[in-house]
Amino acid sequence: MGGGAMSAASLPAPSRWWSRVATGALLPIALLAIWEFLGITTGGGRMPLPTRIVREAIILIGSGDLPLAILQSLGRVFGGFMLAAAIAIPLGLAMGYSRAVERNLDPVVETFRPIAAIAILPLAILWFGTGTAAAVAIVAYAAFFPLIVNTISGAKNVNPTLVQAATTMGLKRLTIIRTVIVPAALPSIGVGLRIAMGVGWTAIVAAELAVGAKAGGGGSGGIGQMMFVFYAYSIELNRIIVCMIAVGLVALLLDRLLRAGLRRAMPWVST
Amino acid sequence: MTAPASERKAAKLRLDRFGKRFAVTGAPEVVAVDNFTLDVAQGEFLVVVGPSGCGKTTVLNVLAGLDSPTSGTVAIDDRVITAPGPDRGVMFQDYALFPWQTVRGNVEFGLRYGPAGDGLDEAQRDDRVRRTIDLVGLNGSESKYPHQLSGGMKQRVALARLIANEPDVLLMDEPLAALDAQTRIILQDELLRIWGQDRPAHERRTVVFITHAIDEAVFLADRVAVMTAHPGRLKALVDIPLPRPRGDATRALPEFQALTQHIWSLIRDEAYRATVA
Repeated sequence: MGGGAMSAASLPAPSRWWSRVATGALLPIALLAIWEFLGITTGGGRMPLPTRIVREAIILIGSGDLPLAILQSLGRVFGGFMLAAAIAIPLGLAMGYSRAVERNLDPVVETFRPIAAIAILPLAILWFGTGTAAAVAIVAYAAFFPLIVNTISGAKNVNPTLVQAATTMGLKRLTIIRTVIVPAALPSIGVGLRIAMGVGWTAIVAAELAVGAKAGGGGSGGIGQMMFVFYAYSIELNRIIVCMIAVGLVALLLDRLLRAGLRRAMPWVST
Repeated sequence: MTAPASERKAAKLRLDRFGKRFAVTGAPEVVAVDNFTLDVAQGEFLVVVGPSGCGKTTVLNVLAGLDSPTSGTVAIDDRVITAPGPDRGVMFQDYALFPWQTVRGNVEFGLRYGPAGDGLDEAQRDDRVRRTIDLVGLNGSESKYPHQLSGGMKQRVALARLIANEPDVLLMDEPLAALDAQTRIILQDELLRIWGQDRPAHERRTVVFITHAIDEAVFLADRVAVMTAHPGRLKALVDIPLPRPRGDATRALPEFQALTQHIWSLIRDEAYRATVA
């Protein structure tokens, strides 16, 4: 208890976190102030302004509309994400492990890969309608490619000595895939999952916007749909910006959660 | 099996005029190993030394069943080796530990997923793993991951993983090469203790150990097989009659120095040539 006497009086004071935050916040606050000022002096009544955006955000959150839309979109993203993972990860492992499988499937995957998710929207809407099924299909398509590419590279780049070590212990081939190839590819699959989550979330907004257009505003909800209504019907730019910010923040949160989950799942990966 | 000690011991491993050639596109084929004949007795500690490129690792890989000879045969207990098997355990130069497994998980790996654990219930397996971890001195580190370990400790894990499976033959490919000089000497002593140099010869496991360090070869071996390169050939077999158990005092013996010098003289010319070329 008395040890506090030898405090670090002679050491330079460490910069406090709030002082660092304050320094970092200076420029954004200045920019927002300039925006607000220019908007009031030059813009019309619909010009988006920081204060208006905050006000609309409070309304949209308070009414429960925005949280509900986000939840609806998230549900679709998870559905499409799981569907993509269920197909891409086993397929990618097989392609990475077996040259024969890869030779057969690689041209197909690489032909479809450059076709953007948004480009298959017309087909998705025609086949699955303007509801959840079409949105899930788009997300699954978008998430599929980063997942399979990273899984293949993970399974391919397994240290061959590890496979030899397991072979010399007499393990069967399927056991080696399960106990060596899969865990060795896991960090790479994790990267694929993070990218897939990102593009899935991007795709859902685009898909819901487009599905919303097709459904004439009476579609099946979600944040993209909400944005479409604000854009095409009620013309509320401030609310569209609220939605944009929400999309960005949700993406950030999803990635942080996924990273934390992956770290827990792979305690051997030193970061 | 019950032959008197005076008789020649039965060969555990038999390499009979074994050769290995590699086809190289656009170049003459490479003869990695040529006409290699050697018997390794049950319980013998055989060390193979030679300059780099002499095919030492090829000999080991063929014994492990990871590679097959292009001529001649390689056999264990008079059965021709065609594939890896749990009767032969391999220790790799870069440790080859599974990074996603803890120390315990690595040591347990073969028993859990391979045939070495057949017929063991969980309690017996646990018991074997615990004894093996004790033997190599890794108590207290069971739940660490390989990336948290020093080179010497990784080597101990690799050794523990190897002997937990209780293979008849231990095949070791320069297992101490990546270690610093002091750790290396300590692990040489440990290796002989774990191999069972205090036990009678028929209770020891058969070891084929690859190294490029001549003093290490002399310290560990019952016999040293000296190889030369281009093509890889068995140049000489040198008996190491130093008494066991061996330890620090062994390294100070004049005979130890003389044997080291002798083996060096066998490969010196070629080693110089390889360095200059």
